[in-house]
Amino acid sequence: MTTAQIEKPEVLIVGSGAGGAMAAYELTRNGHKVLLLEAGRDYDPKKETPMFKRNGDAPLMGAATPDKDFGFYDATIDGGWQVPNEPYTSAQGSEFMWWRARMLGGRTNHWGRYALRFSEHDFKGKSRDGLGADWPFEYKDIAPWYDKTEALVGVCGTNTGLDDMPPSPEGVLQPPPQPRVPELLVAAAAKKLGIPAVPMHRAVLTRPLDNRAACFYATPCGHGCSIGAAFQTTTSLLPMAKATGLLEVRTDAMVKTVTTDDKGQVTGVSYIDKKTGTEHSVTAKVVILAASACESARLLLNSKTDKYPQGLANSSGQVGKNLMDSTGANIGALVPALQGRPIYNEDGHTANHLFIPWWGHQAQAEKKLDFPRGYHFELGGRFGEPGANIDTGLQGYGKALKQQVKHKYGAYVSFALRGEMLPNPDCYLDIDPEVKDKWGIPVARFHWKWSEHELKQIAHGLKTAKDILTLMGAEVGELPAPEQAILKGGQIIHEVGTTRMGASKTDSVTNQWGQSWDCPNLFVMDGGVFASNPHKNCTLTIMTLAMRNSSWLSAQLKQGAL
Amino acid sequence: MHHDHQNAAASETATPDEQPYQSGLSRRQSLKLLAALAASTMLPGLAGCDSAPPTPDTTPAAAPGATIAEHWPELNLTPVTGKGYGTDPNMILPPESPWPLTMTPAQLSALAIVCDILIPRDGEVPSASEVDVPAVINEWVSAPYPRQQQDRPLILATLSWLDTEATQRFGNNFTKLTAAQRLAIIDDIAFDHAQTQPRFARIVKAFALLRGLVVAAFFSTPQGTKDIGYVGNTAIGGDYPGPTPAAKAHLDTVLRDLGLTAFAWQPV
Repeated sequence: MTTAQIEKPEVLIVGSGAGGAMAAYELTRNGHKVLLLEAGRDYDPKKETPMFKRNGDAPLMGAATPDKDFGFYDATIDGGWQVPNEPYTSAQGSEFMWWRARMLGGRTNHWGRYALRFSEHDFKGKSRDGLGADWPFEYKDIAPWYDKTEALVGVCGTNTGLDDMPPSPEGVLQPPPQPRVPELLVAAAAKKLGIPAVPMHRAVLTRPLDNRAACFYATPCGHGCSIGAAFQTTTSLLPMAKATGLLEVRTDAMVKTVTTDDKGQVTGVSYIDKKTGTEHSVTAKVVILAASACESARLLLNSKTDKYPQGLANSSGQVGKNLMDSTGANIGALVPALQGRPIYNEDGHTANHLFIPWWGHQAQAEKKLDFPRGYHFELGGRFGEPGANIDTGLQGYGKALKQQVKHKYGAYVSFALRGEMLPNPDCYLDIDPEVKDKWGIPVARFHWKWSEHELKQIAHGLKTAKDILTLMGAEVGELPAPEQAILKGGQIIHEVGTTRMGASKTDSVTNQWGQSWDCPNLFVMDGGVFASNPHKNCTLTIMTLAMRNSSWLSAQLKQGAL
Repeated sequence: MHHDHQNAAASETATPDEQPYQSGLSRRQSLKLLAALAASTMLPGLAGCDSAPPTPDTTPAAAPGATIAEHWPELNLTPVTGKGYGTDPNMILPPESPWPLTMTPAQLSALAIVCDILIPRDGEVPSASEVDVPAVINEWVSAPYPRQQQDRPLILATLSWLDTEATQRFGNNFTKLTAAQRLAIIDDIAFDHAQTQPRFARIVKAFALLRGLVVAAFFSTPQGTKDIGYVGNTAIGGDYPGPTPAAKAHLDTVLRDLGLTAFAWQPV
């Protein structure tokens, strides 16, 4: 990607993913000169996306490997649970998995594109149950920004009228695709239990938008999308921002520290050019960190000076604290009634068309549930493209073997639970006192422990999924203990909270605009600012906050306030 | 390189109707087989098979094969040392041969026979070996990743086990047996059920892994994908059409049978 050379940028952004690219879009649109630094390599989805490639053409039938954790064709480059030359550590007794992508556009190139709004419930959890933290604004304050973000990003789905899914204005959402047969069966069984299944909201175009094409219902979104239907910043916000002529992007630029002057004012950043190994300093009026929740917190903690001995922007001591992921658990079963069903093209937009949003707000208000926060189910099961799914439960050989495989095809239904976790004092990151990465930058060290809230939620989810599957005629068998079923911290890749926003500088890192309490010209615009982690996938809200807060920042700059 | 020599050696050790496995025409074609041939030393039986002669079980039993004691090959495998494809492979043109292949021609030949017992030719649909499934398995067991290295001894032990069993029952390597003799062995290890003899418990599990791999590799080929009926990965103009009338009618029957008709999904 060639970009303009920007002399004396007003704003410096670290990271080109959901938050950083949206900030670059909003600021350049408002006439500000921006320099964006990305730690990964340049990436062009139009040239590099393996569209229509078959599993059989990939090594190991496309199977997941330590080099490509989500399979050979996953869009992630130089990333995954481990990044070459850039380790992280876990404290004794803790296990946390940290997903990173070192590429332009970051994790937006491969994300699930689930794009659900948080609701008034989600922003004020503490007011209801006394746990965690409230956000420093209400749903109605952010609703207009969700409207703008959804319209810009392109989200398909419907207004369901459910209390977990606040409506979008007429005409904002694009039509969702038709549900598939296994989803319709789940929906009927769930409805018998009083649980609604509705169209998922996804950042996938079903109608053309700007110069991005509508989905043609083929080739998995996780591979990236060369036609721009599945949203990623590399086919949308970044080219749009660059078209203003006000954005310079530098890739392979690994930021080491945020620099400050004698007065403690932020002056810019120091970064390593990974291609040459040399260190450079750049200055700007404002620095925006959007390097991902954990990377931005690591940067702040590594930017300590005599004036800021606890790390930058950390007078509250909250930097690195309140680390949250979504809870996750998977359960599925073979549904005999679906065996041998008529085959048709079930690719659709390659993720679930129907899902089960959280239905228990009222039960929680009436104290009928033993866990405080909600979850949703993403539904799986379709005639998928054959690949490296090794079924060791087959019998026999020859014609009978093939018949078994064909009979089972498309008959397995799965539920992926994704739930809200509460912050707790055992979950945080700090800086490892000994380990450094290849660039000499001290690495993040993770501390992790699920609380009772999450385990009880998982137990409830497993039982509910089993009840639904049983109504579908499936044999589920004995459920695992929640301690066994819950996925590892970080594994859902929804880590947030490590630079949380709040109403008071004593217990939060930024104000509601993502502006650091300690340094007015330092902003955070990634998931780090989340005060809580609703079950709904963080990316849409990261982008919405980045748009809203960059708009506010622009006004501040224009008023000369910074 | 000693391709000619190796090929000559291979043809000397095979009976006329049991040609060594030759990879067909696909991305996994000759390059890989040549690599395997070049990398291997021709052995009369299966490389890596170093099993101690089992003690014959003299307990009288009616079931075939019941007079043979449980056996398991001791494999002396050279660790795989190749590198993976890395974190930034070319996804548009995936690597042809991402790491050195490790199976010997003899192993591949035995594997090809097992592949075609599992998935024989079925009218117009080719057999597993015809679409190069053995090459995929070779790539799998040769891959320098933990999962594949965990599978490797099980796959190779299965092939080795077949030779030992064949020798004990019929006095010859598995590849030299008649089709009926081969099936007599496979029948004992291809089913995990109450009648499975205890001495086959271990091989049944290992064989299930090999079968799972062969099945996955077969259906991942264009011919296999067509055979299973997958009709996706093709661009659709306009809206996604959803289930066909036949699929909807089937769903209606399912809902009725499960007593769920009253709860059928309605658009919101």
